[in-house]
Amino acid sequence: MSADEGSAERGKDGHVHLHLAAPKGIEGGGGARSWDRARWVVVLSGVAAVLLFAASFFRPWWSFKLYAPQYPQGLNLEISLTGMGGDVHEIDLLNHYIGMKHLATAAQMERHLAGYGVAAIGVVTLGLLMLAGKKLNRLVVIPALAFPVVFLLDSFYWLYSYGHGLDPKAPLHIAPFTPEMFGNGKIGQFETFASPSMGFWLAVMGVALAVVGTVVRSRVCASCSRAGTCGAVCPRLMVLPDAEVRS
Amino acid sequence: MRSHTLAASLLVAGGVIVAAFVGCENQHEAQEKKAAAGNLGASASLADLMKARNLNEADVEAALKTYVPTGKMDEYYIFASGGQSGNVDVIGVPSMRMLKVIGVFTPESWQGYGYGGDTDKVLESGNQGAFGWAGPAHKIRWADMHHPNLSETKGDYDGQYLFVNDKANARVAVVDLTDFSTKQIVANPLAASDHGGAFVTPDTDYVIETSQYPAPLGREYAPLSQYKDKYRGVAIFWKFDRSKGRIDPAQSWAMELPPYTQDLADAGKLDSDGWAFINSFNTEMATGGTIDGKPPIESGSTQNDMDYLHIINWKKAESLVNAGKAKSIAGMRVLTMDVSGPEGVLSLIGEPKSPHGCDVTPDGKAIVVGGKLDTHATIYDVAKIKALVAEKKYEGKDPYGIGILPFKDSIQGQVEVGLGPLHTVFDDKGNAFTSVFIESVVAKWSYKDFKQPVEKLKVQYNIGHILAAEGDTVSPDGKYLVAMNKMSMDRFLPVGPLYPQNFQLVDLTGEKMRLIADMPIGNAEPHYSQMIKADKIKPLKVYKPGTNTVTMSVDPNRAEGGKERIVRNGSKVEVFMTAIRSHFTPDQIEVEEGDDVTIHITSLETAEDQTHGFTIDMYNLNVSLEPGKNENISFKADMPGTFPMYCTEFCSALHLEMTGYFLVKPKKK
Repeated sequence: MSADEGSAERGKDGHVHLHLAAPKGIEGGGGARSWDRARWVVVLSGVAAVLLFAASFFRPWWSFKLYAPQYPQGLNLEISLTGMGGDVHEIDLLNHYIGMKHLATAAQMERHLAGYGVAAIGVVTLGLLMLAGKKLNRLVVIPALAFPVVFLLDSFYWLYSYGHGLDPKAPLHIAPFTPEMFGNGKIGQFETFASPSMGFWLAVMGVALAVVGTVVRSRVCASCSRAGTCGAVCPRLMVLPDAEVRS
Repeated sequence: MRSHTLAASLLVAGGVIVAAFVGCENQHEAQEKKAAAGNLGASASLADLMKARNLNEADVEAALKTYVPTGKMDEYYIFASGGQSGNVDVIGVPSMRMLKVIGVFTPESWQGYGYGGDTDKVLESGNQGAFGWAGPAHKIRWADMHHPNLSETKGDYDGQYLFVNDKANARVAVVDLTDFSTKQIVANPLAASDHGGAFVTPDTDYVIETSQYPAPLGREYAPLSQYKDKYRGVAIFWKFDRSKGRIDPAQSWAMELPPYTQDLADAGKLDSDGWAFINSFNTEMATGGTIDGKPPIESGSTQNDMDYLHIINWKKAESLVNAGKAKSIAGMRVLTMDVSGPEGVLSLIGEPKSPHGCDVTPDGKAIVVGGKLDTHATIYDVAKIKALVAEKKYEGKDPYGIGILPFKDSIQGQVEVGLGPLHTVFDDKGNAFTSVFIESVVAKWSYKDFKQPVEKLKVQYNIGHILAAEGDTVSPDGKYLVAMNKMSMDRFLPVGPLYPQNFQLVDLTGEKMRLIADMPIGNAEPHYSQMIKADKIKPLKVYKPGTNTVTMSVDPNRAEGGKERIVRNGSKVEVFMTAIRSHFTPDQIEVEEGDDVTIHITSLETAEDQTHGFTIDMYNLNVSLEPGKNENISFKADMPGTFPMYCTEFCSALHLEMTGYFLVKPKKK
């Protein structure tokens, strides 16, 4: 079984974990069947990544818990891409004492555009996976990776901005601050705990799958009969049958 | 293959980030868990503590059985009649801690009950008058509350509603247990006082309210010389509409009764479903006249050896009423004795004189009547009674033509329980527990097997009513019993000549009854009470925003955040106001002297236990604003001046700052 032998050889390269996703015997001349499988891995991981991104759109991404003596069960704030849930009313009410703006006024543009953004990232990720020529191939993972990173940076910006834009006429005057975005913190009588939640993890899984797709894709390209000759766009739309595959 | 390497390192980096998040622990929750694990290490040994506090082993056992540590909750609720306070006391068992006092017949200022808000209308509906009298109904703001009854489904408490009666003014109130507040007071148009209420039928189709002291139906004037002809007893069957959570007076009806003094009542269940039982005293129809040298009622009413237990077939009575056989008196359909006697829906049976307590056993097969002036509890047999009624096997008729069933053929037996037996409750093992007033004991006996010896437990002192865990339902729990004692004498720190009552908790889990806790009741003399398993009660934590708590729906006039306003229309001023930590909007109101002011005030709070209050000084106004609640306050600004208004419940660190001004500009002269 030549496919297995090929697999074992590559194992010496130290990239064993990729064997699960990468088709066996591409370089070793495994034939058209292996090629098909590799293409399917690219397509399926791309589609799955997009589905995960879409699912993350509907789940909360970040959760804040706030504890104080009079809130023994804690207050919850759940941030999703389009809005927030949990005890927003109560947290706003408490925040008004220190002059913090209503949470609903934060990141309005981002929340408004989030749907288009997720759709665009999905289209671009899938599109690049299918269509990118060798030169663009390495960029495939960038929009997907940018997705959670931009969320984190933007959230941090708003946390900073709200903690530093307190109304000077508020009943209580406190020093400007930035709420903790990771782990435990303390604001006034509140102990806080912030952590990513389901939506974020779905997106991370999506990124991981996009990475898998990219890797397999690059290996498909490396074995392509037109390797090195394609430009920005793969003229054969990698997913189409390639009669001239080296065999 | 560089892209290969890049991707691999990305994955590794991602894994590290994931691990970092997963490894991050919520310190607050971790600490709470640690704290919950307990903190052993008592400073003294148990024996030292017992010595220092002068406690014996029985005391320690009682303490362990009743102690509910901070943060833990009781197993049962007691709903106790607040007696002369007119309000209901809610108590936790086994800790015997007071949980709440629910304003019912008497204004209750903490809850803002009857101090200017919507609940004023509830209290006003309990105003009473004499039928045919042209004057205004009397404003009644106290009650002699006697018998709370929880709503039932199939004879078991369902934890939805509580009904209570007011003996002094013949009224019944409905308390909704979703928010522990009074929704309705119905004023009995016929009776001048009541006692046999409020008792519910097994599915709460009806709430029974029976008169106590006879009077002409509708309370019209009639000289006492016409007592036998004009004075009457009456049993009201208030129709309860569960879908609305209210009594429907239009669907309710009544039964005229002879002018004996009807006392306690109970609705049948299971085998006796469809029947109601009422006992009575003063079948002599004595009316006193002490100033003229006649014997007082106490001796005039105790001459006969037997009084009458009234047997009512209410299902049949209901069909007669629906068939148009009732007369309309004071606006209510009344089945009079000339119909009910011959139809056999009302019968009488002798009972040892001046009885008290009329309690149907859990299986519905028997009725236990306490002798009061007789040392026995008499057990009537429902099957025998039904057969006798069906055959109209009367041993005679009373002066009103009501058939009297033979006593000896109606009973299962009698048990000698002691001096002054009153009320009886039950456990899950076939035991009955009778309060024995004169002897100051609880008597435990078997209603399944009368031959077992009666066990007695001394209580302190003069036990009146008695209650057991779900002890008057089809499935009593056993476990706990409470002796409701009229006197406390040497039990509590002295508080002047008016002594607290004494609720004593009795443990029923052992072979013998054990007294395990005393609780002083320092606000009135309770009568009956009921104990319900805590998990059957599922109250709201906060109201839906803008709720009118009398209608339990969103008030059309609620105020909404951002839409607060003052609307003036001539001399009418309408204010739409919101309350939220720690301000009112608007916080300045200026009106002219004589203006009719309505303030619609809504709490915008949504968090549990974040209550505000609202008062305008000197205007006798106070409302409680639980989260989401709306109150409509209407009054005439008849007093010019400057009046602070403020939040009356310490709501927040800026509670004192939650204030404003109500200004009443004097009229130009």
